[in-house]
Amino acid sequence: MELGVIALVVLGIVVVLVLVFKSMWRVAEPNEALIISGLHQEKPVEGDGGTSGMLGFKIVTGKGTLVLPGVQTVRRLSLDLREADLAIDCVTHQGIPLGIRGVVIYKVGDDFASIANAARRFLDQQDKMDQRVHNVFSGHLRAIVGNMTVEEMIRDREKLTSLTRSSSGSEMEKLGLIVDSLQVQEIDDPTGYITNLGRPHAAAIERDARIAQANAEQSATEAEQSAEANKALARRDSSIKQAGFQAEIDRASATARQAGPLSEAAAKQEVVVQETKVAELEGQREEQRLQVSVRKPADAKAYEQTTLAKADRDARVSAAEAQAQEVELQAGANAQRVKLEAGAEADRVKLAAGAEAEHVRVEAGARAEAVRAIGDAEAASTLARGTATAEAARAKAMAEAAGIEARAKALAENQDAVIGQQLAENWPAIVEAAAKPFGNIDQMIVLNGAQGLSEALAQALSQGVAGLQLARSILSGPNGKNGDAGSSTNNQSAQLPPPDQEG
Amino acid sequence: MADHEMVGKIGRVTGNIKPGALGEVMVPVRGGTEAFNAYAAEGEDVIPTGTRVVVVEYYPPRTVVVTKM
Repeated sequence: MELGVIALVVLGIVVVLVLVFKSMWRVAEPNEALIISGLHQEKPVEGDGGTSGMLGFKIVTGKGTLVLPGVQTVRRLSLDLREADLAIDCVTHQGIPLGIRGVVIYKVGDDFASIANAARRFLDQQDKMDQRVHNVFSGHLRAIVGNMTVEEMIRDREKLTSLTRSSSGSEMEKLGLIVDSLQVQEIDDPTGYITNLGRPHAAAIERDARIAQANAEQSATEAEQSAEANKALARRDSSIKQAGFQAEIDRASATARQAGPLSEAAAKQEVVVQETKVAELEGQREEQRLQVSVRKPADAKAYEQTTLAKADRDARVSAAEAQAQEVELQAGANAQRVKLEAGAEADRVKLAAGAEAEHVRVEAGARAEAVRAIGDAEAASTLARGTATAEAARAKAMAEAAGIEARAKALAENQDAVIGQQLAENWPAIVEAAAKPFGNIDQMIVLNGAQGLSEALAQALSQGVAGLQLARSILSGPNGKNGDAGSSTNNQSAQLPPPDQEG
Repeated sequence: MADHEMVGKIGRVTGNIKPGALGEVMVPVRGGTEAFNAYAAEGEDVIPTGTRVVVVEYYPPRTVVVTKM
């Protein structure tokens, strides 16, 4: 009983001891450091395995340590990797504005100095460490970017890290931090610098790509077309051969098709030939039959008729000949008789005519003699008369010609005398003609009295003179004769002016 | 040499070390590998990336001076 109690008490004591030890023993995980401050922690120890002194506190990493509750405090400082996002607008070495988003990865250094620095600065503000680092590093990043060009930022990672170390290393040491990495995640490029940077290469690449593609397509098309041409060639050859074979087939089949009708036609032809022969034979038979049945009897009949007709004809001819002979003889007798009679008559007439003709001829000769004699006599008398007449005419003409010549001469010497003579010869006729109008006048009244009568007379006279002159001109025309100015002979038969005349 | 002793350790350059620019070396320390800011021991030296270097000086917390091996 007591033994059991003792055992329980011992067990309880052991349990209590374990619990107390457990409450006093602290272990540092690999990713953390224990910062122990308080009693007896100021010994200047550079302890192996992770403790250091001379700091006013003790740093324990990677092992356990005994902590006296109440006199010592333990804090844990995480050594984990941390990161801070950065987003800044900055300007590059060339003055090109960029918006940069990056991330900085850092941790608390593993050596005691770094842990101590960090512990002093961040022990109560481990949550705010990212914010602090962000603020610090924004400035550093701006400086880093300011020392670089865009091309270097994109390509020269070595320079980026180098600049990161140079600009931020010492400062981060103060904070007890190590920058493991600085990554630029995104570059916002409002001016399009980066895009333009790549454009020549892109264009060149695109050009090369298009050239290559075009060449490839060209080659492909050439090959295709060549293949098409070859195919067309092959098709053509094939078609030609097929057509040739088809033509042969058609020819053969046509020949075959025609063979039937041809042989049929040949057979028909043979049949027709045979039929023709049959028809010929039939014709011959018919002919023979007709020969026998028709022609021979007909011939016989014809012969009979001919013979009969000939006989008849002969008979009739003989009769006619006889008659003709009879008539001929009769006519000959008649003719002889007539001829004899006519000859007698003719002789008689001839004799009578000869006598008559002789008589007439003698009579006509006598009469012709008489007429000729009379004509001769008449011709002689006529000739004599004509000669005499001609002589007389010629003498008269000669005499007239002499007279005319003489008158022409005289006229040439004194025209007026000749005209006057001729007028004198013709005067009675002229005056008679002029007085003819007055012959019809019964009574003549002159209204102006004596004076009027004298005027009328004067006018009549003047008209007579005018008529004389007219006559002279007329006469002097053909013969050159001139009427005498015999107007002085006061002729009473002057023409009267019509206005004074009153019937 | 203790694990946390920096001087004498061999590291590898991960950022070009040249005059006027802070380089970076990776040094195995405390069971891991840590990056330290690095200067060249000879000021005019240019140490390209990938070169193996020896830490000749250590300025806590994160700066070392290295020289080419």
